[in-house]
Amino acid sequence: MDPAKTPLGQMLLDEITPVVMVLSTPLVEEACFKNGFSFLQMLTPFCSFHNIDVPVRTASDQPYRLQKFKLRLFYASDVRKPDLEVAKEHLKQVITEAGEKELSELSLDAPEISHVLESSESGNTPSWLQFFNKELIRVVSFSDHEAFDHPVACLLAVSSKDEQPINRFVDLFNTNKLPSLLNDGVMDPKILKHYLLVHDNQDGPVDRATKILAEMRGTFGTSDCALLCMNSSSDSPVKHEDNPWASYNSNVSPGQDLGCFLNIDDVNEIKDLMQDLSSKHIIPSMEQKIRVLNQQVSATRKGFRNQIKNLWWRKGKEDGVDSINGPMYTFSSTESQIRVLGDYAFMLRDYELALSNYRLISTDYKLDKAWKRYAAVQEMMGLAYFMSDQSRKEAEYCMENAFNTYLKLGSSGQQNATRCGLWWVEMLKTRDQYKEAAPVYFRICGEDILHSAVMLEQASYCYLMSKPSMLRKFGFHLVLSGDRYNKCDQVKHAIRTYRSVLSVFKGTTWSYIKDHVHFHIGQWYASLGMCDVAVKHMLEILACGHQSKKTQELFLGDFLQIVQKTGRTFEVSKLQLPVINISSLKVIFEDHRTFGSLSAANTKEGLWHSLEEEMLPSFSAAKTNWLELQSKLISKNYRDSNVCVEGEAVKVNIEFSNPLQISIPVSGVTLICKHSPSTSEVTSGTKNDIDGKCEELTTSRDLSSDNSSFLVSEVDFLLGGGETTMVQLSVTPRDEGTLEILGVRWKLSGTIVGFHNFEFSHVKKNTAKGRRKGKRSPNENFKFLVTKSIPKLQGSIHPFPEKTYAGDLRHLVLELRNSSEIPVKNLKMKISHPRFLNIGSPENIKSEFPSCLMKIDSVPSGANANPSNMSDTVFLFPEGTSVQGVTPFSWPLWFRAAVPGDISLYISIYYEMGDISSVIRYRTLRLQYNLQVLPSLDVSFQISPSPLRLREFLVRMDVVNKTASESFQVNQLSSIGSDWEISLLQPPETIFPSLSLMAGQAISCFLTLKNCRRILTFEDTGSSISMPIRSDIKLVPQGSEDPVYNMSSEPLVNFHHYERQQQEFSHEPLGDLNTVDFVLISRPLQSDTNASFSDPPHVMSHHACHCSTASTGPISWLVDGPRTLHHDFSASFCEINLKMHLYNSSGATAFVRINTLDYTVTGGQLNPLSVVQSVTPSDNQAGWHDITPVNEVKVTSNVTGSQPGKSLSLGSVSPYIWSGSSSTNVHLEPMSSAQIPLQICVFSPGIYDLSNYVLHWNLLPEDRGGQDETRQPSGKCLGYTYYLTVLQST
Amino acid sequence: MATTACFIIVSRNDIPIYESEVGTATKREDAAQLHQFILHAALDIVQDLAWTTSAMYLKSIDRFNDLVVSVYVTAVYCDIFLDLSIHTRFMLLHDSRNDDGIKSFFQEVHELYIKILLNPLYLPGSRITSSHFDTKVRALARKYL
Repeated sequence: MDPAKTPLGQMLLDEITPVVMVLSTPLVEEACFKNGFSFLQMLTPFCSFHNIDVPVRTASDQPYRLQKFKLRLFYASDVRKPDLEVAKEHLKQVITEAGEKELSELSLDAPEISHVLESSESGNTPSWLQFFNKELIRVVSFSDHEAFDHPVACLLAVSSKDEQPINRFVDLFNTNKLPSLLNDGVMDPKILKHYLLVHDNQDGPVDRATKILAEMRGTFGTSDCALLCMNSSSDSPVKHEDNPWASYNSNVSPGQDLGCFLNIDDVNEIKDLMQDLSSKHIIPSMEQKIRVLNQQVSATRKGFRNQIKNLWWRKGKEDGVDSINGPMYTFSSTESQIRVLGDYAFMLRDYELALSNYRLISTDYKLDKAWKRYAAVQEMMGLAYFMSDQSRKEAEYCMENAFNTYLKLGSSGQQNATRCGLWWVEMLKTRDQYKEAAPVYFRICGEDILHSAVMLEQASYCYLMSKPSMLRKFGFHLVLSGDRYNKCDQVKHAIRTYRSVLSVFKGTTWSYIKDHVHFHIGQWYASLGMCDVAVKHMLEILACGHQSKKTQELFLGDFLQIVQKTGRTFEVSKLQLPVINISSLKVIFEDHRTFGSLSAANTKEGLWHSLEEEMLPSFSAAKTNWLELQSKLISKNYRDSNVCVEGEAVKVNIEFSNPLQISIPVSGVTLICKHSPSTSEVTSGTKNDIDGKCEELTTSRDLSSDNSSFLVSEVDFLLGGGETTMVQLSVTPRDEGTLEILGVRWKLSGTIVGFHNFEFSHVKKNTAKGRRKGKRSPNENFKFLVTKSIPKLQGSIHPFPEKTYAGDLRHLVLELRNSSEIPVKNLKMKISHPRFLNIGSPENIKSEFPSCLMKIDSVPSGANANPSNMSDTVFLFPEGTSVQGVTPFSWPLWFRAAVPGDISLYISIYYEMGDISSVIRYRTLRLQYNLQVLPSLDVSFQISPSPLRLREFLVRMDVVNKTASESFQVNQLSSIGSDWEISLLQPPETIFPSLSLMAGQAISCFLTLKNCRRILTFEDTGSSISMPIRSDIKLVPQGSEDPVYNMSSEPLVNFHHYERQQQEFSHEPLGDLNTVDFVLISRPLQSDTNASFSDPPHVMSHHACHCSTASTGPISWLVDGPRTLHHDFSASFCEINLKMHLYNSSGATAFVRINTLDYTVTGGQLNPLSVVQSVTPSDNQAGWHDITPVNEVKVTSNVTGSQPGKSLSLGSVSPYIWSGSSSTNVHLEPMSSAQIPLQICVFSPGIYDLSNYVLHWNLLPEDRGGQDETRQPSGKCLGYTYYLTVLQST
Repeated sequence: MATTACFIIVSRNDIPIYESEVGTATKREDAAQLHQFILHAALDIVQDLAWTTSAMYLKSIDRFNDLVVSVYVTAVYCDIFLDLSIHTRFMLLHDSRNDDGIKSFFQEVHELYIKILLNPLYLPGSRITSSHFDTKVRALARKYL
């Protein structure tokens, strides 16, 4: 690539060209001003030549031709170092102007990043940047250490009207007025002079001018004088096609016609003049000078000898003369001459020559420590390398060297460094080394913030244009640039840069970056008064939970301020503050399902379904399939969308959370709804809805205020820092039709309205989680079909306890209300936990509690207790029950806290509408109550057979008060059923000395339990007398007035039924006749400490069911006989008759064989037995929860309890002989007893243990096959000790 | 201990999954965003550099004024089940010259990161919220930087 064609080459060819100093008289200027420009401006367009075709011969003999050439014209007054402050002002103006131009685009959206990339590839960086760079470079023009800005020629122009033109010429080139460059001796004052006589044709004929010209020629020499005639077209202004001056004069108003008096001849004349000047005068003179200088330099510096000499001479110089700029070099010094030679050669494009001279001089300057000059020369070397397309590395090295050297100079070198940097950057850019160019831009940034802003911006474009483009760097540098622009009050530029940044950081997750960009761009827009756009950006940063509290306050404060400034309320979709937890969204509506409380609505649908399955008519059951003709019952529309009832609120639960640390006020939270009056428009309505959503929003708000077709609730709340609130919103339709919930809207801090549309995708997710009810397609979930008003039952149970103790028995009332006029009928009810809640009978409603539980008289009244209808089925309210109007319908309920724990009770009430016409024919009311049950008394029973009597048992009752503070009075213990009679062994006063059971107190008492069931014995079959059995005992002292509770009264017997059922599963198999149920009735003592228990009288019942008496196996026996006997052994041995009573307590026929053993059971044989016994023992005594069903096989009774003594006594006692049959077989019917005679012979007095027998029993298998597996069919029992004392009679 | 040190873990799509300021310097308000900007911009360099070397520790790759960015690139983690390949970069912005310390710091954090990855409940590429990890990283920073 030809270096001259590159941007840098172009720039150099433009900027490093010979300078012509122009001196003109005021009259010349006056003539030119008629055309609208100055003399210099008139000439400028004709100073650059594209095809000048001048042969040039410099140092070498080989001439070459120059095609392009350019002169730079400056007035003499401008040939000096530009004032830095003025230059800065100028640059600032350039930037500001550029900013104004950009303003129009600012309100547009941020460009897409692809768009930015594209435009950058086509070199479409802001054009003013180039202009700015040029201006920046010009700041350092006319420096004294560089020769290329020094004028090579002087153009003196005098008007023909001037008095004494010749003298004027002389006066013009008065040294006092000349630039300091010429006077200070920095450059040779003897420069080429060209004398121009300007003649205005409007002033008169050209004769006078030609005369003066002749005079001039005589004075200054023929070749150096010229005449320029202008303003020839006096009559009519000339219109120039593509005006040559237009592009050079930027600040001209378009109406002004430049060069209006110059006709085509004038223009040609100017053109010829300039060409003549450059080709015939300037270039030859430059050539001349080059040759002269070259000769001088060669003579003094070229060659080995001269170099040595030079080095020697420089070494010898004193270091003391050093200043920052090194020694002062006058134009006549060799160094200056070399530099001029180099620059001239450069300007005439003899880069080889220039380079060799630059090289020569650079070492000199370096040795002299003239750093500025050294840097300047290095800079030129780099450019010369570049232009001659030689080693790139060298070129870059030189530029870098120059740049660094300038920087080392500090502030004085800053401008030079900037210029050098810009050239360097251009050089890198030319070679597509954008990546390397960007850091150079970065280094150019000096103290001047505005300049560095521009440089950083250019750096960012470099990153963008590098391959591959480094977008992040691009963004970063743009941000840096924007910040600097902002610091210089160039807000428009700042916005421009940040807007480009937006495209880079779109959707970034780098939170601080996002916040920074949006916050600042928002602020800036606001400062420009473009609040709408500002708000848009500020919205992005509202949810800045990661920022510090101070920053959050700043963000929010600024945001609100801007919003206020706009003076209107914004409606913003998806406002980020507060955050809506869309997964928490829950719609609660009532179609045929109505809910008594919020918690009921939150309960899983499946639970209700299972509860209601039996009650509901079949068509609405969950298990319908498509084959059933559902459509006959409900029209298509009704099936497709949710149904809600006119006048009944649809509720939406939604969670708002505040991500910030500061609290935010949220007000006016409402649902956005749409109501269309007729159902047929459902489909079309949704279609419109998508395009016209915004429209819909406003109308919906109006509607809600008008209260026309629906009513929405409004909620205000203050969200503290980091808080989350669940809000319930509701909408109540007031007309039939279709209601659609579109979203939610709220007002933040009273100024900005946010709304959030419920989108279907979210809901889909939601339904997948099973939170939503209904099995419809998700997009229908927010659409409701409003049917006309139908009755709705409201129900409550009161007084429902929230917290109670286990066993607490209460009387509750279910109250149902129907606010509408239409009656409801066919009420059904189902309760999830009948163990806790029981349905009473209507006569209970007025009865006094707890006195209704008392036995009125001694006659047992178990007639109304009918547990069979207390099954788990649905309770039907009596026929003809209908609820209507203001009077509530009441029904008694019995409550008993069965087990401790947190319990949720579900009650579902089904009812049908009085009029059939409604779409919804039935509804269910779902009630849910939560209850906390605390443990109270813990009752356990342990039953062991009485050693004295068959079918009598000893019962130990352990009662522990497990409450923390409550004390109870234990009133009554009852056994359920008619077969068991219980009686206390001790008077109640001794059991409960304080008449109460304190918290934590445990008490045991003993009772006897007697089985009064008729026994089938062989002897007396008909001897049973039906007599009242005492199944209730009072545990309070006799004198107290507490009546006896009737165990067969309605709630108690029902609850007992459920308790039995419940405990059955964990206990014994069914139908065991040897089990007994106990009910312990207690009352909490009235205590002042616990208020919750104070008011109504309470009764607590504790049920222990299925306490087994048959712990010894199905067969129980008792050896009956004398204990002490006197016998005269001197007469004969003693024969003793004993009786064994056998009782079969099982439900099967048993065969029992008794083997008497005459030999002593040895310890060895007993061993397995004793092992078994040791397993059984004391666990039972300590554990008092449940008597675990002990393994009945081979287990003898542990009643005797003195087993260890047995073997001891066996050894000491002389044997006795069983004298009866050694084996007896008995056939025992179920529940029957038998007697077997036994006889022993004793030969000497002593104490005998009659345990030497074994009882084998064998149960006949029964019909109930399943039971046999758990129950052993046969077993063997060893006899238990029976001590018999035989004494010698006297 | 470095006065300024900002440690960040960048996962795929240049999403930061862990950030912490571990320097001793008192936090300035605008420091956080400046650090993010520098680190984010340095990703451009990492992008080029990561494929030119087999070393994980890329040393100092970028600088901004007196702040240096050091980067450690983990091996590409492929999850065939989730169809992910995650190229995680640890980036540390610091003003200290302690090269060995930084290398050790990175290596130990890498171990911690692998432990996080092994957690079956952690979805690779998602944000690291473990407070344990945070404590450990801070401890390492105190130790090495």
